[in-house]
Parts: sequence; C-alpha cells; structure tokens
Amino acid sequence: MISDVETPVITLIGPPNSGKTTIFNILSGKNYKTVNYPGSTVEYYTSRILAKYNIHAELLDSPGLISLIPESVDEQVTINSLYQHSTLGTPQLLIATVDASQLSRHLLLPVQLLKSGFNVIIALTMNDILKKRNINISIEKLGEELGCSVVQINGRTKEGLGKLISTMNSNLDNLGNDGKQKPVRYEQIIKNSSLVDTFLEIEEIISKVLEFQGVDENINLTNANEQLKVHPSILKNNGFTTDELTLKLDRVLLHKYWGFLIFILVMGLTFTSIFWLAQPLMDLIDDLFSWLNKLVLTSLQNGWFSNLVAEGMISGVGSVLVFVPQIIILFVILGVLEDTGYLARGAMLIDKPLSKIGLNGRSFVPMLSGFACAIPAMLAARTIPNKKERLITIFIIPLMSCSARLPVYALLIAYLVPRDKLWLGGFLLAGIYLFGITISIVIAALVNRFRQKLFKTEDTSTFILELPTYRIPKLSSVLSHTYNSSKEYLLRAGPVILIFSLLLWFLVYFPNSNTQVETEGITKTQILQIEKSERLEGSYASTIGRFIQPIMKPLGMDWRIGVSLISAFAAREVFVSSLALTFKVTTEEEANQNTLLNSLRSATIEDNGEKLFTTATTLGLIVFFIFALQCVSTIAVSRKETGGWKIPVTQVFVFTTLAYTMSLITVNGLRLLGIE
Amino acid sequence: MKTAAELNFGERGTIAEIDCTHPSSRRILEFGFTPGQVIELISKATFNDPIAILLRGSLIAIRKSEADCIKLK
Repeated sequence: MISDVETPVITLIGPPNSGKTTIFNILSGKNYKTVNYPGSTVEYYTSRILAKYNIHAELLDSPGLISLIPESVDEQVTINSLYQHSTLGTPQLLIATVDASQLSRHLLLPVQLLKSGFNVIIALTMNDILKKRNINISIEKLGEELGCSVVQINGRTKEGLGKLISTMNSNLDNLGNDGKQKPVRYEQIIKNSSLVDTFLEIEEIISKVLEFQGVDENINLTNANEQLKVHPSILKNNGFTTDELTLKLDRVLLHKYWGFLIFILVMGLTFTSIFWLAQPLMDLIDDLFSWLNKLVLTSLQNGWFSNLVAEGMISGVGSVLVFVPQIIILFVILGVLEDTGYLARGAMLIDKPLSKIGLNGRSFVPMLSGFACAIPAMLAARTIPNKKERLITIFIIPLMSCSARLPVYALLIAYLVPRDKLWLGGFLLAGIYLFGITISIVIAALVNRFRQKLFKTEDTSTFILELPTYRIPKLSSVLSHTYNSSKEYLLRAGPVILIFSLLLWFLVYFPNSNTQVETEGITKTQILQIEKSERLEGSYASTIGRFIQPIMKPLGMDWRIGVSLISAFAAREVFVSSLALTFKVTTEEEANQNTLLNSLRSATIEDNGEKLFTTATTLGLIVFFIFALQCVSTIAVSRKETGGWKIPVTQVFVFTTLAYTMSLITVNGLRLLGIE
Repeated sequence: MKTAAELNFGERGTIAEIDCTHPSSRRILEFGFTPGQVIELISKATFNDPIAILLRGSLIAIRKSEADCIKLK
C-alpha cells in the first residue's frame, strides 16, 4: 500500500494524435489546471483523478513526445520533469498512449520508457480502426513481449475504461512501500545509432502480436494480406494500411492547386465567421454593459463611488467580456478543424511561404487567431515546437489587425468616406488589413535576420508532421477545449484590463472631481455627460495629454487625441468612447456615431484654429493604429509566453516608434501632396 | 543515390539509409523512417514543398530539405 502522506503521481505520456488528451479528459472530468514546468514556459495539465474511479492520485498530462531523446529545449524540459519533477518527483506510474493503427511508430516511446525502467501501462487507442480491417492485436502477447500491462480503450465510447482503472489500481497496489521509481536516463543506456535496432525489435514484437481475424491461422501472411486486398509492399509495414477514405480526400485536399484553393477558402470562411457570427453577440454584451453603466450612474447617488463602479468597474469588465463571443467562435471552428485532422494539412500547405520569412506552417493558426485577439493567438503559438519560429510568430502577432481596432477603423473610415460612396469604406478596410499583413511579413523577415540580438536559440528549423486520419469531430471535446481556452483568456487578460481601466478612471476622474454645470432644460443623462467632459478637461489625464502635446503636434493632432490614444492602452476600442468624451459629445444615445462625426468635423486645434480632423490626420491616425501595440494585456501575455521582458519591451518600442514615424510620414506626405 | 525528396507523385521506394549528418536525421528516424521501409509519395504542396509521404500506414508531411536525407535503394 502507498502511504497516505504522499499522493502518487500518474503521468500520461504519448506521441501527438495518440488519444492522450481524450484519456486525460475522461480521467480528470475535464477539470484541470494549467501549470508551467518550473522555470520555463512549457505547460502541462494537472488534475486529481475523478473520485468515482476510486484512484487516489495526481494526474499529469505531458506535452506530446515522440521519443525520450530531446530535440528541442522544450522537449528537454518535458523529459527532465518526467525523470525528476522538481516538486512532484518521479511519477509512480506512466500511462503511455499508443494509436493501435500506428503501432509500429507509436511503440517507440513506450519501449524507451520501459528500457529506462519506468513503471508503465500501455493504453491502446483507436482499436476500432484496426477492427474494421479485421486486424486484432493480442494485448496479452504484447504485454508479455514488452513486460508491462496493456489495455485497450476507446476514447469516444469509453469502452475498456473499467479495465484501465482496475489495471491502474492493481499496479499502484503492487508498487511496494514507497512506490518510488528510479529510472535511468535513456541516453545513458543506449546510443542514438541504435534507433534502427529499436525499430527492428518493435517490428519483431508486432509480427508476434498481430492476429488476422476470419483468416485461418495456417494460411501464411501473404495470403491473408491478399484476401484483405492489402498491397504486397505494405506487408513490410506489418500489415498496416492507411485509411482509404483519408487517401481519397487527400487527393483533393492536398492537391497541388485545388488543395491550396480550398485551404484559402476554408480559412477565409473561418476568418469572416469570426466577425459575422460574433457581431450580434458582441453588440448584445456592449448594450448590456452600457445599460448597466447608465443604470448605476442614474440610480446611485452621484459621487466618486457610483462613478468608480460605473466607469471604472462595469466598463472595464465590459471591455474584457466583449471579445468572449469572438474567442469562443474562433476556438470552436479551429477545434473542429483540428479534430477532423484538417489543421495539420493546412500547416503543410502554408509551410513553404511562411518558411521564407523565418516562420513555420504551424505559425498560421496563431496568426489567424490574431485577427480576433492577440491574447489567444499568443497562447496558440505554443503549438510551434521550434523556439525561434515561436518567438518570431509571437513578435508579429500584434500586427494582425485585431477586432478591438475595428470600432476605431469604423469611426475613422466613416469620417473619411463621403455618404454617397460608402463602398469606398469597404475597400479602405480591406486595404488596412492587407497593409497590416504585408507589414507583418516585412517585420518577420527583419526579426528573422536580426534575431541573434533578440534571442539566442539553437533549434534548427524543421517541419515533420503526422497528418492524422480524417475523423468526424467529437463536439464534446471541442467544446471542453473551447471552454478552457476562453477561461484562460479571461484569467490572463481580465485582471490586466480591469486594473488598467481602474487606473485610467482615476486619471480621468481626479483631481477635478466636483464639477458644477447648468442643469436647466437638459436630461439627467446629458448632465452626466457634460459633467464628465468638464471633469476630463481638468483631470490628470488631460495634464498628461497636454504634456505630450508637443509630440502630437507634428502629426497635426492635439492633446485630446493624445488622451484618447493613452486611454486606448486599456483596450483599443476605448479610443472611440474617449474621443466622444474629449469632444464633449452629449446625446441621449450613447456613442451615437453621427453626433460624434459632426463634432469631429467642427473640431479645431486650440492655439491656431486649424481644422483638427483632416483627411491627412485621419489617415495618419489609421496608420498609427495599424502599427501601435496599444494593449496592456498583450504586453503581459507576451512577457509570460516568451519568458522575459526582452521581447515585449522590444515589441512596444519597435511598434510605437513605427506607429509614430509612419503616421508622421503619412500626415506630412499627404500635406506635401496638397491633401489636407 | 535517389532520395525521398526526388520521388514523383505516387512513386514508391525502399529506404536504404538515413544520412546521419543531417540535423533532423534523428527526428526522421524517430518518425519511423528506418532502412527497409517502403514509402510512397502521396502529395506535394502548392510550392512542391513540403511533401506528404505514406510510411508504416501513416501520412507524414515533411520538408523536402529534410526528406533529402532519406536515401532510397
């Protein structure tokens, strides 16, 4: 028996696509914590095993591994923690997942683990695929050959789960007093060159454990394979064939031209649905929070407290939650694509162009996610195994035009485009997105060239990826992944945005907190708004704004835009409401665009009376928003994901400098051309 | 000597050896590209790179620069 003092640790381990996460979800009840390996950015999941299974143990899910010999820094961390986790020690038991239909490739890791001296149970998954081909694996023989327990389990129907639980229980019971494992580093037992020998051993084992059903055992293998319509050359592959449907689908989906076209189409659809599907929900959240804001302001006694609740807290929470619909839709679509097996193909199709700028096929999904929000995008970059490519991807993600910029562009475009030429706005918006993408390509290439100054990594760029068999996606696993990712977004971005919006509230509210306005003949809402504008004018924020006035002047802008730009650091879309504030837009309808546009049209620079929002300055502002990294939560996540301040600080410096310079060039260039 | 990167669409080949001087050679071996295995080229991406190879019943996408160290008989 295991002593009660120490909870045994069970680690799940297996190659990518071996069904590891499915088993983790079943055993943990999808209720897990994300933890970093000590001193690194590599993450794993941990959870208690569900009480109903009656196993008292801590369950760890490790990142996908192909072999015990590390290839990258991150794999080194994973493998080190497997041998000796700094807080949890060596796991008492490993459950190694193996895709039965890929037995000859997936057995490598369990064989290495067993040779190292770990206590292993092998969980064979995807047995149904083999069954369809009338092939059976004798788990008794396999267990005997390897010297460990082997269990068959179906992750979708949970068939075989009981067997896995009882095997785990009896295994832990038999461990002895302390249950401590003392495995030896794999590199110490074996030389790299013997990989070929290990595979030969595995092939030998497989030839002993395969059973062809419905075929007389006396008939030799060649005959059996002929009956199963297996091509003779596959014989050498131990009776394993690929899924016919997968091969047929790939003839189209991986076709030289059609494949790429379909890929662009699928990604275009994904991209547009992030916006179209999410828009009504985002509006709903937006309306709800402005209603709450108004409710608090009008019903509570007017004072700093009601203002703090309404403007600081409610608006702050609102600006975090408004992106949740988009993030949920993004994760559902990407989850479905991943689960079907298409995403791996997408990575293959886009790898070549991306490799030209120091990126990888796997950089594509994070970059696409960046159009919704940079935070989930940076988290998605974890799937890039190569450190250099991951860091460059994270570096350029803020250049993807995230949805927080959309309200800003919408306002500025509406200002620029004449009412009878609304179509021009669409072109302008498309132009902004394309410009952003082009810039990100240039920056990626530049970062790639000068990366030695930014980060030192010796990983060589590689792209070897298993293309999984196409399957119908399992909705429940997609939804649970979406739930956890959205929760992660809220936990990461939420506190930062909230703190920052409280800070901004303070800067906007004080010291001029008691304002007196003429109240005759206007509604309560209007009073509140006039008060707000008056307060802002004498606030700390405007002091800061006036302080940066000299910097804004070359851009043809003044302190009011400066204040709005500073406010936009909480979240970019705050720029719009902040402009409304600084230009004293007072209407019943909050954020009524036409009223705001009209007051922007009549706005002049205070000291010389020149028009403030000209074509030149408005375009200059758009250019500023394309480049600027105005998002505190992105900076925080960038620090967390890159494991230091170097990259986020460089990002802020480079992108702010670029934003200012490019905006300066745009405004003054246009003026030189005679466009005001 | 012909390499996996030089296979034509639908062409099969038997692996003779893996060039161990290539930085990715170990990973390639770990994926199961071992001498004696029969491989088949299933697809080439739009820019002819990466390529998808059928090996041990699984499809593996691999860059041509890496497939180059898989020498065929």
